[in-house]
Amino acid sequence: MNEFAVSVKDLTRTFGDFTAVDHISFNVARGEIFGFLGANGAGKTTTIRMLCGLLMPSSGMARVAGLDVYSAYEQIKQRIGYMSQKFSLYEDLTVRENIEFYGGIYGLNRRQIRQKTAELVQYLGLEKQVDQLTRSLPLGWKQRMALSAAILHDPDIIFLDEPTSGVDPVSRRNFWLLIYELADRGKTIFVTTHYMDEAEYCHRLSIMKDGRIVELDEPRRLKERYGRETMQEVFMEIVNRKGEQ
Amino acid sequence: MKRIYYLVRKEFRQILREPAYIGILFIMPVVQIILLGYAITTDVKNIKVGIVDLDQSPMSERLVEAYTRNNSFIYYGSTDDERVLIRWLDDGRISLGMVIPLHFQRDLINGRQPDVQMVLDGVDGNSAGVVAAYAAQVTVALQKEWLPKVPPLQKKAAALHITTIEPRMWYNPDLKSVNNIVPGIIATLLTMVTLLVTAMSIVREKELGTLEQLMVTPLRKGELMIGKIIPFEIAGFLLVNVSILAAGWIFGIWIVGSVWTLYLMSLIFSLSTLGVGILTSTMARTQQQAMFIAWFFMVFSLLLSGFFIPIKNMPDIIQGLTYLNPMRYFMVVIREIYLKGTPLEFLWKEGVAMLTFGVASFVLATVRFSKRIG
Ligand SMILES: Nc1ncnc2c1ncn2[C@@H]1O[C@H](COP(=O)(O)OP(=O)(O)OP(=O)(O)O)[C@@H](O)[C@H]1O
Ligand SMILES: [Mg+2]
Repeated sequence: MNEFAVSVKDLTRTFGDFTAVDHISFNVARGEIFGFLGANGAGKTTTIRMLCGLLMPSSGMARVAGLDVYSAYEQIKQRIGYMSQKFSLYEDLTVRENIEFYGGIYGLNRRQIRQKTAELVQYLGLEKQVDQLTRSLPLGWKQRMALSAAILHDPDIIFLDEPTSGVDPVSRRNFWLLIYELADRGKTIFVTTHYMDEAEYCHRLSIMKDGRIVELDEPRRLKERYGRETMQEVFMEIVNRKGEQ
Repeated sequence: MKRIYYLVRKEFRQILREPAYIGILFIMPVVQIILLGYAITTDVKNIKVGIVDLDQSPMSERLVEAYTRNNSFIYYGSTDDERVLIRWLDDGRISLGMVIPLHFQRDLINGRQPDVQMVLDGVDGNSAGVVAAYAAQVTVALQKEWLPKVPPLQKKAAALHITTIEPRMWYNPDLKSVNNIVPGIIATLLTMVTLLVTAMSIVREKELGTLEQLMVTPLRKGELMIGKIIPFEIAGFLLVNVSILAAGWIFGIWIVGSVWTLYLMSLIFSLSTLGVGILTSTMARTQQQAMFIAWFFMVFSLLLSGFFIPIKNMPDIIQGLTYLNPMRYFMVVIREIYLKGTPLEFLWKEGVAMLTFGVASFVLATVRFSKRIG
């Protein structure tokens, strides 16, 4: 099998005559936390959707878990977890019912579902809220729950599209602790964000602009090369400099 | 299979938690039946009749008496001047004026079919039609009573005359048009739930983003479709039963034919509406769009179903168009079962037509759904 968790070459997607993703190429190693940065409309979500088998690429090559996105998208779904940019639990179901539903969809049996529910509830500290409607939970908890629901089937690769947008700093930290734990267990994390402090947590970063990847390196090396103290400054410089062309 | 079970279970939880769905399922049928039912019945109750009896024979008096006895009519008065009658009508004092011709009794006995003239207040064409039908019914009933008095030779002519008057009314002996309305309402509500609500529920998940989440799970599109269909099929079935009970308790109109035949036909019919509902969900991005598209389909199928406007009264081209409307067949079937008790073996043609449309729209929906959703 392919040594990379995700491998992309010249991947392109157009909508009419607008090119949302323009010949991007990169590889993500197993167990890596791979950050995807870029201004609004840069093409991050479009890229993730192609990798998850939700959207057909217009051209180029992409393999996820060694599987081709053009032909093996159904198999890919078994191997990945995806948390979309929108919140995606059912707000009118309770925490327990959400876990039961997604567990059932992922083919867990009753006993496994009960076990997973107990595990998750304990892990997330939701003992008191387990029979409350998800709607009533604070956003930070909802997001951690959504992540937990998206990985009930224990996938190798996890795609997170702006998982922490709108979440308070403490909850964001908790969320990232969860991400680190997953990475420690050998999971590959592919995450987009607009928060530069989060970008610092990633093993490697790619910065997208107008559908193209303009930088791809470790945060430390990027800061060195640009002679800046923070990723925030690096990001601003990249976005502004390339914008002047 | 197990995945479908979890989908259906989730869907039911959501339905039971959504007050709007509960309203649609249990309150709307009752409200619609009451509103439409009463709106129609009040129109045809208490029709004031004025009479000009030029014959003054026992038989003409019997005719007048028949009207004054009937619950739908109120006797206003008699006059021997037709102009007075017209004035009453113009003033709105009566809604029906009846002129019994001279030699009414003699002509009747001789089988010469005397012409009783009905003058109607035609401002509201619809209720005038109902009044005329009611009046005809009273007359027909009376002619039956008189038939034995007609000499054998003339019987044929007299009998023929009777059958030419509004044969449709035979199935509706109480003369309540609510009898026609109730089956129509059942058809409408069933369409509403299986078409509109199904589409809305799928598009709602599109809007919330849960549909995208489902699309990255191993759930197949076919399973998703079935998981969406089963709950609303069951809901539609419940709704049919609520409507039947509401019509029975409120208006005392109970189904004459087999309720199983009705269930079977409803199932066949809802195949086509579910198909269109799923098609709608593939075309709409927002719940508003879904609502709009679904209404568009619903209004057309209602208008071309014969519920409001009898198909016979439509222009030829439009009449032809109605054959493409599954609801047209269902409306016939449900009226036949409800009012006449027609058994299944006489309704198979309509059943086959609905099944054809059902399968076609279903195949189309499945193809589009697997291409477009997600
Ligand atoms: N289905 C679509 N049809 C047409 N255009 C689309 C479609 N999906 C995305 N786009 C366009 O592609 C571009 C990239 O969108 P994308 O959602 O990938 O950006 P993004 O980097 O995720 O932005 P954000 O930070 O706002 O989430 C945008 O200009 C968007 O309008
Ligand atoms: Mg995005």
